[in-house]
Amino acid sequence: METDLIIVSEYCRKSHIDPSFITLLETEGLINTRVIEGIHYLLSSQLCEVERYSRMYYDLSINIEGIDAIRHLLEKMENLQKELSLLRNRLRLYEGTLL
Amino acid sequence: MAYIDYYNVLGVDKKASQEDIRKAFKKLARKHHPDLNPNDPDAKRRFQEINEANEVLSDPDKRKKYDQYGEHWQHADQFEAQQQQYRQQYGGAGGSGGAYWSSSGGGFSGEDGEFSEFFESLFGSRGGHRGGRSAGFRGQDFNAELHLSLRDAARTHKQVLTVNGKKIRITIPAGVENGQTIKLGGQGAPGMNGGPAGDLYITFVIPEDTVFKRLGNDLYADVPLNLYTAVLGGEQFIDTLDGKVKLKVKPETQNGVKVRLKGKGFPVYKQEGQYGDLIVTWRVEIPTHLTEKQKELFRELQQIS
Repeated sequence: METDLIIVSEYCRKSHIDPSFITLLETEGLINTRVIEGIHYLLSSQLCEVERYSRMYYDLSINIEGIDAIRHLLEKMENLQKELSLLRNRLRLYEGTLL
Repeated sequence: MAYIDYYNVLGVDKKASQEDIRKAFKKLARKHHPDLNPNDPDAKRRFQEINEANEVLSDPDKRKKYDQYGEHWQHADQFEAQQQQYRQQYGGAGGSGGAYWSSSGGGFSGEDGEFSEFFESLFGSRGGHRGGRSAGFRGQDFNAELHLSLRDAARTHKQVLTVNGKKIRITIPAGVENGQTIKLGGQGAPGMNGGPAGDLYITFVIPEDTVFKRLGNDLYADVPLNLYTAVLGGEQFIDTLDGKVKLKVKPETQNGVKVRLKGKGFPVYKQEGQYGDLIVTWRVEIPTHLTEKQKELFRELQQIS
């Protein structure tokens, strides 16, 4: 559920990541956090993204700017793959008509 | 089970320093990491190879054992037993030092915990970790293909899939497309050390239907029409996904003429009550095996035309 919230400090402790990394992701516009009564929360719907970004950052040594660029390229790639799939289906239709 | 040349996998020399190995691994990991190559099984397999090579070569103890036995790894345990016996008999290093290897193995695994049989034979099964950030590993993502007929894809229905021995009941919404992939969060392999489970990606494979061709949400069908109905007009039953419908045919309908039936096409994905159109192409059939009388009538027709 999109409204499920996870306390940032708790998540960071369990995942062994520095809370400043979450701040960095938010500052760069890669994720959104919520502050309720002074406590920072992550949206559970963005957890997968946070994990992916932390793997890129810590395991692959890609900086935040690089992660942002990769995010755009992956989005583009996903759209292109969808378009490719659509065009393949369309081609199948016309090939079927010609036969 | 074949010997794996980990130096070759990382593209480094046998004398490479730890820094060289670290650099080579990072460079290859950035290229093949599954996060950067979504839905690419080849990249995932390659990353597992790289990861395994790094697991061995970046750890001085493992590297030493790997270098020591190399291609003769199958005799490693036998050789070590002899060494131990020798040390006990004649003194020497003893204890748990030297070439002894803890069967805990383990180490950085990135996203996937798969190790080759070669690795397991030489270093024991994987377990434990080096600490640091990656204490909890996310489970492996699974990819599966689900084959559906066009008619099945047109209705919301439930299916039970068996993925890696686990039964998963899923609801397939009407309108899924050929090649479309959906993600079922947390249905992949379980995580390790408290890490989250991986995801399950299901790609739908929808083969061609014998009657309908699909393009987006519209369906196309070629329908034969006899010459007399095409010329004089009339009615014709045609198949739709809901069953047969009766369609009026205008007099003097030409071969190849298309008729659009609004809302008789494919259901729109996740938009209940919305449908594409069905586009019928009339294929006028010229009669064959005419009787002499029929031929005579056609000649008459030809003369007065």
